[in-house]
Amino acid sequence: MNRWMVWCALLAGSASVWADGTVGVSERDFLTDVPLVLSVSRLPQRLDDTPGAVTVLDREFIRLSGARDVADLLRLVPGFQTSMSFESIAPQASYHGGFSSYSNRIQVLVDGRSAYSAYFIGSVEPGLQSVAIDDIERIEVLRGSNSAAYGARAFLGVINIVTRDPVDTLGTQLGLSTGSNAIGDARASVGWIADKANFRLALDRRSDAGLAGSNGTNRIDRLNFRGGLRPASGDDFELRLGTMTLNAGKGDPNQVDNLARDTRYGSSYLQFDWRRSLDQDHDLALSFSHGDETYRDAFPYSLQALGINDSIAIDASGASRSDALTLQHTWRKGLQWRMVWGAELRREQVVSRPIYNTDDALVTNFARLFGNLEWRPGKELVLNAGAMAEHSSTSGASLAPRLMLNWHVADGQTLRVGASRAYRPPSTYEQFADVRYSWNGHLLEVATLASGNVQPESVFSREVGYLGVLPQLGLNLDVRAFHERIDQFITQMNSTRPKDYANTENFSIHGLEYQLKWQPWNGTRIMFNQTYLNFSLIDHGIENGLAVDYGNALPAPKLASTLTWFQKLPGNLDLSIMHQDSGTMTPQRTGHDHQAAMTRTDLRLAAPLRLGAQRAELALVVQNLGLPYMDADPAYAFQRRIFVTIKLDQ
Amino acid sequence: MLLRLRNLFAGLWLTFMVALGACAQSSVVIVSSDDGAAYAEAAQALVQELERGGVSRFSIRRINASEWRDARPQAPRLYVTLGAEAADLLARFVPGAPVLCALLPRNSFEAILLRTGRKVSSQLSALFLDQPAQRQFQLIRLAFPSARRVGVLWGPDQAKDGGEWRTQAQAAGFQLVDAEVGTEDLLFPALKQVLDGTDLLLAVPSPQVYNSRTIQNILLTSFRANVPMMAFSPAYVRAGALLAVYVTPSQVGVQAAHLARAVLEGKTLPASGVYSNDFHISVNEHVAHSLDLSLDEQDLSRRLRQREARP
Repeated sequence: MNRWMVWCALLAGSASVWADGTVGVSERDFLTDVPLVLSVSRLPQRLDDTPGAVTVLDREFIRLSGARDVADLLRLVPGFQTSMSFESIAPQASYHGGFSSYSNRIQVLVDGRSAYSAYFIGSVEPGLQSVAIDDIERIEVLRGSNSAAYGARAFLGVINIVTRDPVDTLGTQLGLSTGSNAIGDARASVGWIADKANFRLALDRRSDAGLAGSNGTNRIDRLNFRGGLRPASGDDFELRLGTMTLNAGKGDPNQVDNLARDTRYGSSYLQFDWRRSLDQDHDLALSFSHGDETYRDAFPYSLQALGINDSIAIDASGASRSDALTLQHTWRKGLQWRMVWGAELRREQVVSRPIYNTDDALVTNFARLFGNLEWRPGKELVLNAGAMAEHSSTSGASLAPRLMLNWHVADGQTLRVGASRAYRPPSTYEQFADVRYSWNGHLLEVATLASGNVQPESVFSREVGYLGVLPQLGLNLDVRAFHERIDQFITQMNSTRPKDYANTENFSIHGLEYQLKWQPWNGTRIMFNQTYLNFSLIDHGIENGLAVDYGNALPAPKLASTLTWFQKLPGNLDLSIMHQDSGTMTPQRTGHDHQAAMTRTDLRLAAPLRLGAQRAELALVVQNLGLPYMDADPAYAFQRRIFVTIKLDQ
Repeated sequence: MLLRLRNLFAGLWLTFMVALGACAQSSVVIVSSDDGAAYAEAAQALVQELERGGVSRFSIRRINASEWRDARPQAPRLYVTLGAEAADLLARFVPGAPVLCALLPRNSFEAILLRTGRKVSSQLSALFLDQPAQRQFQLIRLAFPSARRVGVLWGPDQAKDGGEWRTQAQAAGFQLVDAEVGTEDLLFPALKQVLDGTDLLLAVPSPQVYNSRTIQNILLTSFRANVPMMAFSPAYVRAGALLAVYVTPSQVGVQAAHLARAVLEGKTLPASGVYSNDFHISVNEHVAHSLDLSLDEQDLSRRLRQREARP
């Protein structure tokens, strides 16, 4: 083989041109070298070698689900709680509990770029909306703490969104959805190839009237560009640019402290990636990303109650920017050893006069070193040992290690056991919030004043898992039993005035979740998930019942189930039925005083069409066939939505 | 004095060499398209195998195509060409000895026949570099027992061979899903069509389809579609194809030597081109592992040989 490589190298670049100038097959096609493509970093870990439970939502699943955004898809993943409300910022998803208005204990990556919001306390909501659902190739949901590989935000899990390669979306694609609740989604995308480069430009809108009882229209407009250059040298360059504007109606005309209003969130990003295969066993990847956020949200607060015939502005407007530079080296030796290690520098800055009472930018610098070593001593065992050392300029250093052993007990049967520790440093808001209201130069109230006396919270996670694949029966079963102990939980102190953030409870989240996939025959795909969750308070800390209190609040249901059934019908029709049944929980925005269970059944029926040379699909989707259920707030409900979608793919 | 003596020796040496050249007419002249390593390896294996069969090294002459153009050697008993360019040269020249064209694919040889207006015969025969369709489909059957649909992309003018490939595919129990790539613009639509529902992409060499510019996107697209590629050279296996069956230049040299010896022993070249008897299988163990496939090069080679040995 090595000798082959030598001649291949000698012959590289030669073309099979005949004496008469025509090009035909010749021996050179057999002998010429070609660049290394599926290099070490391009070959993903197999699911049964992965240090943790993973749910993969592929493009087919995404299409058949009829979901209009990622958050709506994640409700079909074990352990997730979702909301379709735009009240905090956008539809959100949390894993093993939504503890506050924002979901900031999981990481969201879009093509490797951290897309959590620096402005909104590290929340994943805007990141989940940054690309249109039709631009997504697959979503890998890593259930369980994963900070060793993905940093502090991967405290409880990771949502890894992989967008479609432009090569797979050449030509023009058009999509249109319209229906009840003022649903009006539209998308146009064009992809093309020019020599060694490939491009896609996609423009789309997602629009509806929001939850029943909520205020006004929610509209997301996005423009995303992705370009790749793959020269014959084997290098790989990728450039991604995108911008999103989210207009959402919030508030209530009858609440003076949360008046009905229109808000506008804008974000844009740039991401540049360069990958080089040093040889068959070494890859180097360099990535730079930049993100901007702007938020405009203000309304007048009437001072009539104070006997003053005037108002003050309640404002949450501001901006953030983040820059990240990552260098990563992937190495392997045979099938036995594989290692990924690297370093990341990240800078986040937030500016908001109304929230931080300063015009200065609040800057946090992160320096990270990470590594994961995969060792396969034999065919049966895989040991993943990883760690991330992180230094934050505002909250010091931490080390997040992880150890996981995968034992391939028999063909298609894998047992996993492992433990990890992770830290989430307090966000800029949790450390520096200073929200005050003044009128005519008189300070009326300091509503929130973060003392900064808050340490990183930590999670120690232990899990036992099983992954079984029985191809003869078309069965795939993934089970995860977990015990996640959270210490020094950071939360807002409600009893103090002004409000402050502090480390409060220590508690554990323990339970079991499983995902059963069954493909009994061609044309039928069934997925059944169940999650049993329990929260146990270990130590109250300084104040009772902030995050976990059985009397009032329950951040996630004790039992939640989803059933997804995709059925191919005669005439190539696709029928999808999705049913979700979640036990009582406290919706993320309601505080401690409300609990609700919910059930939701969705239906989708789609027919493939041919319009001349174009392939098309017409679909009818009914979301929530049954009664409206409470979402986010007792005043809001997710009512039945019926819409029709047509998609054209050239 | 010394100078005169040196001139005398030089003159004698020259006379000796001319005489030697006249007496030693070559039995075999090997004409290589190129001096590259692959040609050198094939030529070396050919010479060694002929020597092992009793042919003197001094009766074998090795030249390259440009040397042939400059001065054609005296006709030997057999010409062996290595590569398409050399085969093209000798097919045009019609030398007074049979020509065995080796180290070239069948399509190249057929194109040469078409251009030169010659016919394959015992005077102009070939040992093909590519692998017979039957062998490739048998290997797919061994490596993927449950595979049903095999995708193939044809370069311009290759689709005419589709019938033969389809027949071989059906004989091995496969359905061939193929598409022709007229121009490079149409490559990815064609690839998308071929990957839809196929179990494996069988790469048939065509410079318009598989080249260093296109291979990145082809391999990435097929990997994303979870369709492994069976390729035609070890370079593609290194790049990311799952496996390949091919003949090495040494194996070409050895088989060419066996055919040459038969001519030297008074027999004739095969009246039609032949495929290599020997072959090599390479598997990319990392791609196989990633796809959860257990393939062993030695085991596959052994089983394929056993299958071919069956009557």
